[in-house]
Amino acid sequence: MGIVYVLNGLYFSAFLFLTSLGLSIILGVMGILNLAHGSLFALGAFMAAWVIGVCVNAGPTVGMIGGFVAAMLLAAAVGFVLENTIIRPMYRRPLEYQLLITFGALLVIEDLIKLTWGGEAYYASGPFDMMGRVNILGGEYPAYFLFVMGVTAACGLCIWLFMARTKLGIMLRAIAMDRDMAEAMGIPMRKLTILAFMLGASLAGLAGGLMVPTSPALLGIGMEPLIMAFIVVVIGGLGSLKGAVLGSLIVGQTRSFGVGFFPELEMPVLFLIAVLILVARPQGLFGRA
Amino acid sequence: MAGGIKRREFLKGTSMGALGAGALSGVGLVSGAGAASKKEIPKGPVRIAAVSFLTGAAAAPFGIPGDNTFKMMADVYNQKGGILGRKIELKSYDEAGGADAQVKLARKLLMEDKVDVILGYISSGDCKAVLPLSDELGGLMVAYDCGSHELLEGEKSPFKYPKHGLGFRSAAHLGIDNIGMALMIKKYVPNVKKIAGINPDYAWGRESWRVFEVAMKKLFPTIEVGVTLWPALGSTDYTAHITTLMNSGADIVHSSLWGGDAVTFTKQALGMGLFQKTRMAYSRGEPYPQEIGAEFPEEQIICCAGTHYFLYPAHDRWPLNKWFVEEYYKRYNKYPTYPCYHAYQAFAVYKAAVEKASALVGGWPTPEEISAAMKGISVETPSGYLHIDQDHNGREDVLVGFSKKVEGYPFPILDPKRMEVFPAHMVNAPAGIRTEDWIQSWKV
Repeated sequence: MGIVYVLNGLYFSAFLFLTSLGLSIILGVMGILNLAHGSLFALGAFMAAWVIGVCVNAGPTVGMIGGFVAAMLLAAAVGFVLENTIIRPMYRRPLEYQLLITFGALLVIEDLIKLTWGGEAYYASGPFDMMGRVNILGGEYPAYFLFVMGVTAACGLCIWLFMARTKLGIMLRAIAMDRDMAEAMGIPMRKLTILAFMLGASLAGLAGGLMVPTSPALLGIGMEPLIMAFIVVVIGGLGSLKGAVLGSLIVGQTRSFGVGFFPELEMPVLFLIAVLILVARPQGLFGRA
Repeated sequence: MAGGIKRREFLKGTSMGALGAGALSGVGLVSGAGAASKKEIPKGPVRIAAVSFLTGAAAAPFGIPGDNTFKMMADVYNQKGGILGRKIELKSYDEAGGADAQVKLARKLLMEDKVDVILGYISSGDCKAVLPLSDELGGLMVAYDCGSHELLEGEKSPFKYPKHGLGFRSAAHLGIDNIGMALMIKKYVPNVKKIAGINPDYAWGRESWRVFEVAMKKLFPTIEVGVTLWPALGSTDYTAHITTLMNSGADIVHSSLWGGDAVTFTKQALGMGLFQKTRMAYSRGEPYPQEIGAEFPEEQIICCAGTHYFLYPAHDRWPLNKWFVEEYYKRYNKYPTYPCYHAYQAFAVYKAAVEKASALVGGWPTPEEISAAMKGISVETPSGYLHIDQDHNGREDVLVGFSKKVEGYPFPILDPKRMEVFPAHMVNAPAGIRTEDWIQSWKV
C-alpha cells in the first residue's frame, strides 16, 4: 500500500506544481504577489467543466482535450486583461498595493464566475469515468490520476526546455534575476511581462481544468490551491522551476503520508516545514538571496 | 393557532421574557403585552432578511437551494395575502465573509434596516456568533440550517434554557443525524466491529463525530474505533484519506462531509474502490445521490437531517410534501434537498408564531410576543410536524436509509423497504440536558 501513498502524493503534487509554478513565475519575473491566482485556477475549472458538458455528445476525449485547452486559453486571456489593466500600474509599488489590487481582482473574478455560470456546481466526470482503473502492484488505481501526472510532467518538461533553451525563456530568467539590469540591457520588458503573466495564468487554468473531472467546479474552489501554492513557493523559492518541482513533491508527499500516519498533524507539519525553511533559508530551497 | 395556551399566561410569559431581554441589553424593552393589544397591524410590508451562502463552496449545495425556497415561500405566502395581510418583502443576503462580517450584517439589518426577522445561517460558526445579538439588539432571529448541537446547549447538564430570548433554531441539531445513524446500524448492521471517520476539520465535523462515537460506544460497548481523519473544508483531493480508510479495516466509515467536499470525496472514492472495502455512513448524505447520479454506490447509509426527503413522507399520505416537491421542481428544475426543507421550516415557524401571537394579543406582535408564541409551537411542514421546544431548538424525527437503485429514478434513492424513521424522542435530548450526557444515560 506504500506505493499508493506515493502515487497519491504525486497526484496532489501535480496540481501543486502547475499552480505554484504559475504563481512563482509571476512573482519571480514580475515581482507581483498575485492573490487572484486561485481565481484563475477556478476559471479553468469552470471553463473545462462547461466545455466537457457541452461536448458530451462528441465523447469524453474530445470534451476533455477541448476543456483543458479552453481552460488554459481563458485563464491566459483573463491574465492578459489583468496585466494590461490593474497589474501594470502596480509594478514597483509597495506590496500592500499589490495585495489589495489582486485581492480585489479575486473578488471580481469570483463574481464574474457567478454571473456567467451561476452558483450551481458543475460536474464533468466523463474523462475520469472513461479512463477507468489500472492494476498497480496488485491494487487498482484510477488511470485518470496517472494521466494528470503525465500531463504535468510533460508541462514541466516543456517549460524547462522553454526556459533553458529558448531566447525568450532566457530573457525571462534574466528579468527574474535582475529586473533593472535586464531593462538596461534592452530586454523588451513589456512583452515579456505579459508573456510571463499569461503563461502563469494558463498553468493555473490548466490545473483547474485537470481537477474538474474528479471534483466539481464550485464557487470558492480556488482558495485551497492558492494557499498550498504559497507553501510550495515558500519552500521551493521564487521563480525557480526546480524549486516548484521539489516544493510540490515535499508538500504532496508530506500530506499523503501525513494523512496516513499522523492525520491530526498533517497541515501543521506542512506549515512547520515552511516556517523552518523561512527561518533557515528565507529565499527558499532554490531561490536566489 | 393559539392551541392550548391561555391569553393571560401568554401575556405573563411575554412580559417576563421582555423583562429578561431588557435586563440583558440594559435597555428597557417596549413590550408590555397590554400595549400590544392596542396595536394595529401596520400597512407596510413585513420585512424579512434571508441570509444564506450565495457565494463560496456552500452556495451551490445549501445556500442557493435554501435561498430559492425562501423566495418561493415569500411568493407563495404573498399570493395568499402575506402574513396577517401584510405583504412579505424578502431580501436575500450573502452569508460569506466569516462570523465577523455576519455580526456586522446582523447589526445593520436589525438596527438600521429594522427588519422584522432574520431567517438565516448555514454555518454553525455564524449561528454561534450572531444568535446572541438577538437579545442585545431586541430583534428576532431564526437560525434555519446550522447544525451545531452546542449552539443552544449549556456547558453542563442540567443547563438553563433558553440561551437567548429572541434567538431560535427552526430545525433539530446534528444530534439527530448521528444518533439516528447509530440506531440504524444497531438495527441493520449489528455485527459491526470497527468504525472510522472522515469529517471536516471544524466545529461541525468534530461535533458530528463526537456524537456518533458516543452513541456507537453506548450501543456497541466493544466497538473498536479506528482512524479518524480531518480534511480541511474545501479540499479537492481526498486520495490520501481514501487510501488510509481502505487500509483501516473499518466496517463503517462515518462522514459529515458536505457539499462539494462530499461529492469530491465520493467520486474519488468510487475511482479508488473504497466502496468495495467498506461502507459509508453519511450523516447528511441526502443530497448526494442526486448530485452524483447513477454511479452513487448502493448500500451506503444515508441520513436526511430530519425527515427531509423528496419521497418521504409519501405523497399520498402527506400532500404538503407532494405540493412542495412539485412546486420547487417547477420553479428550479430540481428536487428539493434538505436545506430547502429547513428554509420552509423557518418561514413557516415565523409565520405561525406571528399569527398565534396576534390571535392572543391582537395587532402585529412585538418580537417578544412572537418569541413567546414560537416557544412550544408545532407546525406542519413538508416533512411532517416540527416542534419548537422550550429551549428554542427544533425537535424532529429523523429518516435514515440505504441507497438503492430503483427503476424510474436516474440516481439511487433510499431503499423503500429499509427506510427507518426514528421518532423525535429517540434522537433528541430533552431540553436542559446535553446531548452526550443524554446518550450516556441510556439503558441499552
